[in-house]
Amino acid sequence: MFDNFATQFPVVFDALNIGFLQTLKLFFVTLAGALPLGLIISFGSMSRFKPLSALVKTIVWIVRGSPLMIQIMIIYYFPGLILDNNIWGTGEQGRFIACSVAFIVNYACYFSEIYRGGIQGVPKGQQEAGQVLGMTKSEIFFRVTLLQMIKRIVPPMSNEIITLVKDTSLSRIIALQEIIWAGSAFLKSSRGISGEIWPLFFTAVYYLAFNGLLTVLFARLEKKLDYFKS
Amino acid sequence: MSKKIIALVLAVIVAAIGFVFVACNGNEGTETTTAAGESQTEAAKESDLEYVKSKGKLVVGITDFAPMDYKEKGSDEWIGFDADLAKAFAKELGVEVEFVEIVWDNRIIDLNGKNIDCVWNGMTLTEDVKAAMETSKAYCNNAQVVIIPADKADSIKTVEDCKDLAFAVEKGSAGMEMAEENKFNFTEVAAQSDALSEVASGTSDAAIIDSLMAAAMVGEGTGFSKLTTTDIKLNSEEYGVGFRKGSDLAAKLDEFFAKSLADGSMEKLAETYGVQAALIK
Repeated sequence: MFDNFATQFPVVFDALNIGFLQTLKLFFVTLAGALPLGLIISFGSMSRFKPLSALVKTIVWIVRGSPLMIQIMIIYYFPGLILDNNIWGTGEQGRFIACSVAFIVNYACYFSEIYRGGIQGVPKGQQEAGQVLGMTKSEIFFRVTLLQMIKRIVPPMSNEIITLVKDTSLSRIIALQEIIWAGSAFLKSSRGISGEIWPLFFTAVYYLAFNGLLTVLFARLEKKLDYFKS
Repeated sequence: MSKKIIALVLAVIVAAIGFVFVACNGNEGTETTTAAGESQTEAAKESDLEYVKSKGKLVVGITDFAPMDYKEKGSDEWIGFDADLAKAFAKELGVEVEFVEIVWDNRIIDLNGKNIDCVWNGMTLTEDVKAAMETSKAYCNNAQVVIIPADKADSIKTVEDCKDLAFAVEKGSAGMEMAEENKFNFTEVAAQSDALSEVASGTSDAAIIDSLMAAAMVGEGTGFSKLTTTDIKLNSEEYGVGFRKGSDLAAKLDEFFAKSLADGSMEKLAETYGVQAALIK
C-alpha cells in the first residue's frame, strides 16, 4: 500500500491543499454570515410580538430538524429544477454560493439558540439596574448584557464551530470540491494515482490540526473573558 | 414605538429567509413532478443550441474517469478521449468549454436544472438513459467485464464459475444490471472504483466494471496491480453523450461526429488515448 508513498505524497499533498482551501473558505464565509444572522434570529425568537416569535421558532424547528444534506440539495436544485431559473450559475462558483447560503442559514439557527441561552442567562436584575440608571435599551444590551453573554456562550459556540469545520464535508453532495472530495478522488483515479485510500484517511489530519488550533484559540478567549466571574 | 419598528423589520427579514424553506417544505411532494415536467417542455421550446451560444459556454458534466476524462499528474487541465472531443465540439460551436465534476447520481437533475449542458463521460446508453436524456449516436463500444484478484485467475474462467462469488457493483450501473441478469450474489457500492477497492481489500470476491475503465485501471502498472480482467464479457454496449430532453445539441453533435470520423481526426484522437479498437466508425 505504501510502496509509492514518496512519489505520490507531493501530488496528493497538492490536491488536498487545494481542497482544504475550499473547506476553509466555506468555513469562514459561513461563520461571517451565521454569527450576525444568528443574533438577529435570536432576537426574533425572544420577541414579545407573538406572531413573529412563533414564525421564527417554526423556521428554527424546520432548519434544525431536517438534515443539512437535504437542505443543501434543496437550495442548489430547487431554483433550477422547479422554478426553472438557475440562480446559482454553473461551475464551482455556483456550487460554492449555494453551499454558503445553506450553511449560513443552518448554522445561524443553531447559533440563535445558543445566543438566546446566553442572553436569558444574564440575571434580570442587571437590566433593571441599567434602567434605574437611565440607560436606554440598546445601551443596556451593548454595555451590560452583550459581553456577559459572550463569556457564557464560548463553550457551546466552540462545540458548534468545531462541528461546522467537519460539516463542510457535506457539501460534496453537490460536488463542491472540498478536501474529502479531493481525497476520495484517489480511490478511483486522479492525477495518475489510482486505487489509493491513504489520501482519504490523511484528510483527517487536516481537520485535526485545524480543530486543534481552534481549541487553543477558544481556550485563550475564555481566559480573556475570565474577569466576568459572577 | 421603536420596539414595534424593530419587530417589524425583524419580521420582514425573517420572512424573507423563511420563505425559501417554508416554500420548499410545503410544496415538494405534490408539485415537484408537474413543475419539473413543465420546465422540461419549456426548455425544449427554446433551442438549446441558441441557449449555449448565447451564454458562450458549453458546460460539460464529467467525473474523473481515465481514459475518458482525467487530469495528468502535475496538470490542472482535463484531458482524455471524451474531454478532447468535447473541446473540439465546443470549438466547432464557437463557444468556450467548461468541465464540471458532478456527482454521478445527480446527472439528470444537474442537466435539467441547467447546472450542466451535457453529460459526456463514457456514459453507457441504456433504456433508462435514453428515456431521461436526449442522447447522441453511440461513438464507442464497451463491455461489462468481471474483475478478480490475479491469483484466482486460473479457477474462474466462465460465467458458471462466478455463481458462488460475492460481487461488488456500482449502484445503478450497467454492471449491476448484468449481475441481476445473471443472478449473481452482489453488493451495491457508490462507484466502479469502490467496487475495485472492495475486491482489492478482499471484502468482495469480484467486481463488474466497464472494459474501457478496466483497461486503464486494472493490471500491471496500475493502482490495482493485484487484480486482473477476466475474459468473461457479460454483454456488449455502447457509449453516448447525454443532453437535456428535447435538446437540438444532440443532432448537432451527431453531425460533428460524422464530420470528425470522415476526416480521420476522431480516430487519431482515439489512438492518443488507446481506445481506437472500441471506436464506432
